[in-house]
Amino acid sequence: MTDVTLDLLDDVASAFATRDAARVRNLRDSEAHLDREMWGRIAEVGWLSMVVPEELDGAGLDMAATVIVTRALGRGAFPEPFVAAGVLAPMVLAAAEDDACHERLAAVMAGELVVGVGSQGEVAATARGTLTGESRCTGIAGADAYVAGAGSGLYLVEAGAPGVSVIPQRLADGSFTARLELTDAPALLLVPDERGGEVLAQALDAARVALSGELVGIADTALELTLDHLRQRRQFGRPLGAFQALQHRAVDMWVQRELASAALQAAVRVHVDERSSARERAIAASSTKARAASAATSVCNAAFQLHGAIGFTDEYDLGLYLNRALALAPWLGNAAESRRRWLDLVEGSQS
Amino acid sequence: MIQPRYGEPQERDWNLLPDEEFRAIVREEIEHHYPSHLRYAPRRLLWSEQAEWIERLRERRWLAPGWPTEMGGMGLEPLKQIIFGEEHERWGAAYYREHGVVQVGPVLMRFGTREQQDRWLPPTLRAEHHWAQGYSEPEAGSDLASLRTRARIDPAHSDEYVVTGQKIWTTLAHVATHIYLLVRTDPDARKQEGISFLLSPIDAPGITVRQIRDIAGHSELCEVFFDDVRIPAENLVGEENHGWTIAKSLLGHERISVGSPGPAEYGLELLRGLARDRGLLRDPVFRDRYARLALDVTHIRDAYARYKDLIASGQEIGPDVSMLKITSSETFAEIAEAIIEFAGDEGGLAAADGPGTLTAFYRARPMMIYAGANEIQRNIVATAVLGLPRG
Repeated sequence: MTDVTLDLLDDVASAFATRDAARVRNLRDSEAHLDREMWGRIAEVGWLSMVVPEELDGAGLDMAATVIVTRALGRGAFPEPFVAAGVLAPMVLAAAEDDACHERLAAVMAGELVVGVGSQGEVAATARGTLTGESRCTGIAGADAYVAGAGSGLYLVEAGAPGVSVIPQRLADGSFTARLELTDAPALLLVPDERGGEVLAQALDAARVALSGELVGIADTALELTLDHLRQRRQFGRPLGAFQALQHRAVDMWVQRELASAALQAAVRVHVDERSSARERAIAASSTKARAASAATSVCNAAFQLHGAIGFTDEYDLGLYLNRALALAPWLGNAAESRRRWLDLVEGSQS
Repeated sequence: MIQPRYGEPQERDWNLLPDEEFRAIVREEIEHHYPSHLRYAPRRLLWSEQAEWIERLRERRWLAPGWPTEMGGMGLEPLKQIIFGEEHERWGAAYYREHGVVQVGPVLMRFGTREQQDRWLPPTLRAEHHWAQGYSEPEAGSDLASLRTRARIDPAHSDEYVVTGQKIWTTLAHVATHIYLLVRTDPDARKQEGISFLLSPIDAPGITVRQIRDIAGHSELCEVFFDDVRIPAENLVGEENHGWTIAKSLLGHERISVGSPGPAEYGLELLRGLARDRGLLRDPVFRDRYARLALDVTHIRDAYARYKDLIASGQEIGPDVSMLKITSSETFAEIAEAIIEFAGDEGGLAAADGPGTLTAFYRARPMMIYAGANEIQRNIVATAVLGLPRG
């Protein structure tokens, strides 16, 4: 995409994803796992088909576009599981080859079918093609269907099918993750053993970059709220922002956000380049994820400190960002795990 | 090819070359001709120590990469100047960033008279003059504008200034031939408005240079004392009392180069080499620390690349570029500390020849201070970038 198109998308995404704190709090305090109405609106603006190739009726957009959307969603404190169900799941479904799977993909793009992806666990396929075992599915619960990996193959199970139980777990921000327990559950084969591992690995690396965008967006707003507070709040007869100790802390927050933004941009550049190898994509994904997780966490923590007591109240919006960062930073490799994976991969490519 | 005012024309118009082709030419020159015993020098080299290399650059007319070709320079556009510097860094070669080339030359081209240019630029292009920078004083460090070295027009000889005072932290003044200095010409004006910019031979009567031994055992910094030194009025650059504006115009030149991640990358290589020697490459404690530092450097490099892109597209660099200087110097210092830590009981060994355990340490610490201490950089970012009120 050209820079002009990306700028336009940024305008559209920022306008769409303005913070509606009342909605976020209502959803958080309800038992609903998903705001279906909002999900429908996200489908309407076309974001659920962004990563799907044009030949499968998707928009065929690259990672640069995806990250603009996720960063905007992060800035707006959206609790929607966009990376899980709008990036990861469509990428996996798009890798399937038969028509039944593509019908599901069409429903996903339309926002009618919400699919989660289980990325960790022990699931085995039986000879009859059913699945048994456990899988963890971070970032979403209340989906209509879930992708589960058994062996190296990827399968789809329906949430309401016999032998499928979904155990939701609440995250720090009130959104949900889920554990799948499968007992002889009927399953649709999406991607066979030969390609399944590779498809999932690549989709996960793309999801890491997209998720990093969301985390950087969280840091963006946490920083902005803090700077506003430092400019406006007066104590000892002057604005807080005139105190050098606080200025320096604010600069360090900004530096972390800048590093995270630069790392994100570098990772996007690798992911949009068709010549990049899977290993290069993985290195870039762990690089940006490591920084985004640590920067979002440290920026939110510093924001909290610089706000004083007001930051601890739920009435003030900073908490929405802090809690969202706590929920998202550990997913798909926290900062320490991402650094470790990055170093292993970099060294692997040296030898 | 333009016939420059000084010296011979360049061999070609470098800016017409694709960046990577230009890079290859610079690399070839450095790899084949830079003296190998001078690579990765653990301290700043004296001009006499690199005389052979400087002569080579002079012959090729590569001493002034940033000067326009009309003035005898290479005429490199900004991105190509960065590439030129990066290739030195990559090879561990000392980059000829003599003050006459990077400071006095650009000042004279912008603020000097034709006579001043004709007098001072050619010897700099021939590497005959080496300039020292007389800015900091004992009472004027970060608060440079409060400098007190006084210059008065002699009532008896109105064509001469008489200068009295002291400069300090003057790098390589003991081997310099000339000094450019900021002096106070109007003690009654607001502090930034009473400063002038003067040029002088460093052997003028009344100038005394004393070397300062630093904690690494080197003596490249000096004090320079001025005791009724007579400086001809024709050596005033620009108007009297306009020196602060001139000095500020130079700051932009160094803002991206002082933020280069190159030194920190060099530190990482030293750290990795040490870990290899000590069998630590599989040690999880080492790996955790190393991965963190290596990713810090990677992301500084990513940020640096963004600024390079801005420069390449002809945009101005704003005060936010300070983030590079802050992060690259502080990361380098953290790497230096890790080197000492993982060296175990050899952590305190002084360097003999070549890089040792403490080489990175003694290089990194001053980087957090010079070219605007990192605390000053943070003050600037807080107000000029983040829009926080002045303290």
